[in-house]
Amino acid sequence: MSSATSPVLDIRAVRKTYHGGVEAVRGVSLELAAGQLLVLAGASGCGKTTLLKMINRLEEPSGGSILFGGEDVSDLDGVALRRRIGWVMQGDGLFPHMSVRRNVGLIPRLAGQDPARVELRVREMLELVRLDPSEYGDRMPAELSGGQRQRVGFARALAGSPELVLMDEPFSALDPITRDALQQDFKTLQAELGFAAVMVTHDMAEALIMAQDVAVMRAGQIVQTGSPKALMSAPADDYVAGLLDTPRRQMRAIAELAG
Amino acid sequence: MNANLAERFAELPHLLSGHVLLSMSAILVGLAISLPLGIQAAGRPRLAGLVLNAASIIQTIPGLALLALMVPLLGGTIGYAPAFLALMLYSILPILRNTIVGLQGVDPVVREAARGIGMTPGERLWQVELPLALPVIVAGLRTAVVWVVGAATLATPVGASSLGNYIFAGLQTRNWLSVLFGCLFAAGLAIILDQMIRLLEVAARERRRGLAAGVGLSLAILITASVAPRYIAFEPAGRNSAVIAGGAADLTDETIVVGAKAFTEQYILGALLESRMEAAGARIDRRDNLGSTIAFDALRTGEIDVYIDYSGTIWATVMNRPEPIHRHAMLAEMTGWLWAEHGILALGGLGFENAYGFAMAREQAAALGVTSLADLAPLAAQMTVGGDAEVFSRPEWVMTRDLYGLGAMQTRAMDAAFMYGAVRDGQVDMISAYTTDGRIAAFDLIVLDDPAAVLPPYDAVILLSPDAAANPALVAILAELVGAIDDELMREANRQVDLDRQTPDQAAQWLAETLEAGGADR
Repeated sequence: MSSATSPVLDIRAVRKTYHGGVEAVRGVSLELAAGQLLVLAGASGCGKTTLLKMINRLEEPSGGSILFGGEDVSDLDGVALRRRIGWVMQGDGLFPHMSVRRNVGLIPRLAGQDPARVELRVREMLELVRLDPSEYGDRMPAELSGGQRQRVGFARALAGSPELVLMDEPFSALDPITRDALQQDFKTLQAELGFAAVMVTHDMAEALIMAQDVAVMRAGQIVQTGSPKALMSAPADDYVAGLLDTPRRQMRAIAELAG
Repeated sequence: MNANLAERFAELPHLLSGHVLLSMSAILVGLAISLPLGIQAAGRPRLAGLVLNAASIIQTIPGLALLALMVPLLGGTIGYAPAFLALMLYSILPILRNTIVGLQGVDPVVREAARGIGMTPGERLWQVELPLALPVIVAGLRTAVVWVVGAATLATPVGASSLGNYIFAGLQTRNWLSVLFGCLFAAGLAIILDQMIRLLEVAARERRRGLAAGVGLSLAILITASVAPRYIAFEPAGRNSAVIAGGAADLTDETIVVGAKAFTEQYILGALLESRMEAAGARIDRRDNLGSTIAFDALRTGEIDVYIDYSGTIWATVMNRPEPIHRHAMLAEMTGWLWAEHGILALGGLGFENAYGFAMAREQAAALGVTSLADLAPLAAQMTVGGDAEVFSRPEWVMTRDLYGLGAMQTRAMDAAFMYGAVRDGQVDMISAYTTDGRIAAFDLIVLDDPAAVLPPYDAVILLSPDAAANPALVAILAELVGAIDDELMREANRQVDLDRQTPDQAAQWLAETLEAGGADR
């Protein structure tokens, strides 16, 4: 973990223009402190996933810079950088031809750890995400439920002891009950292990529940950054207010039913 | 039938080993080329399109034609090399296509996950993309194996020994047991290899080392068992090492390659040459079922040492002389030309002529009042003529057709083995028969007169390659056969195979014994 004084992640005026002139990200600056959980929220196509992928160099920025632990990511080897950063994606992204054990142990194994240590790490990770290693270790991804697969996805991302975890819509493919359980478990895990995380979601309610800080994006730019509370009490503009309105209306409707 | 079966089994080690060696090496090299190429092309759509198109074009060339084309491409080389090259090219498409399709079919989410968690391109390829594409790639490999093992039977006409020898020879001599033999063993081999690859894939997917080892061992045994006879039978020896001074007819420790084209008479004569030279101590390597021009090219380049050809064939297809001349003049001119142009020695005629002649069923000819080719012009529009694959493109037919006004006649190409039966049964009205065929008499056919002398003479001649011509012992032994076999003797030997179901070896033995007995008279 990096020191408390310098941010884990320092994004400075980053831009991304695709071939054909589409501007996906138009000058975004953000900071992420050690242990902080930041949620990038916004509608589809607002550039939040592109921004996320520029952090671990799955995409290259067209301008600006991204510092990870004080180093410009463009100076780092892409593969080495990605091994230091956990990656969780929508629909789990597990390797269907590998057992749960081999999926979770992949990064330690590629890093050259001996099999006994890898196995120890796999057990530890599966227990962290509340899957019994002896029951689930030998299963193939196809033999798991959606929620279990996403848990394995988290375990795989955390097995390399990353300083930072990036998550692209990790809960969106799950049913509401599973999603709620996983959200809570993840929050606990993140607080316990103390890694920093950036999560992308289009679901405003999820953003409010999970985040320490929310950054709302629109058309490639950040409209507002702040704690969920700050956003709720003082939305920066009508767009943010509109986004917040939906979960609020739903809550009110549900409260009326109960009362 | 018993002798037939025993003879077929005796040939099995040599032919099966040739088949396994040829098809396995073609597939392995094909795999070594197409797998890396497919991996390179999978991520590059333009390259993928290019290589797939190229491979598809190769695939559209019929197997037999591709094999035959390799002979001139390799400068007249026959045998293993052209067959290997053609089959190797043939194996590329299915493996290449399935590699590309398999890799492109890997779920993009999985691909991105592999990148996102920090795998290197090599790790992604070997641990994620290839394992996930493996079932598709293996399916392509299995297709290639079945194709190549099947197509390897077509290697026979270019002079590579394979199970196809059974099929080609059996077809020509109407030996259905032999055809069946070739088909069953080729199919069996294809099925066994196909299943072995399937089991290897299962072993790889389920990480079952025992299974992989078992299959690997059986493959090793199969290959060893098929390759071993090759090295036990033929220990290497210098071909021209032991020419004995003084010209004594001794060929000890020499290997002589005997060629033969793909019909009964040629098999019998090949066997006769073999037994003569073997008696003198030579080791004989037979190359049966060669295509007509392939046999000549092979002789020219020294791939084979000796074979029997016919003066009219050399005259028309090698010397490109359209006009036939008198029999003896043709023989003399041809002999001089071959020696001057290619250093090939035409040792002399065997004593019989196997000409093309046009034959009809006696009854039908009588009913139509036909005895000569000159009688046919008014009937041509209602007639169909059958012939072997090459006759309709040869000058003999073209000139006969033009001179006798037979342009309206329909032509039907078929295997020479079938045409005698076809004309007897009225499926065609006339055929291009070989005049030494025993079936002309047996099926009550008549050969029509050729008053304009369009059809050239076809004296059977012994041809020796330039190297072989310089071997006095070999020349001396073969010279004993010059003038020894007349039309009647040859026709009888052919009849024994085509009608009495004797094997060519048996007929050759009969011929040898008859020559021995009648030696004094001749």
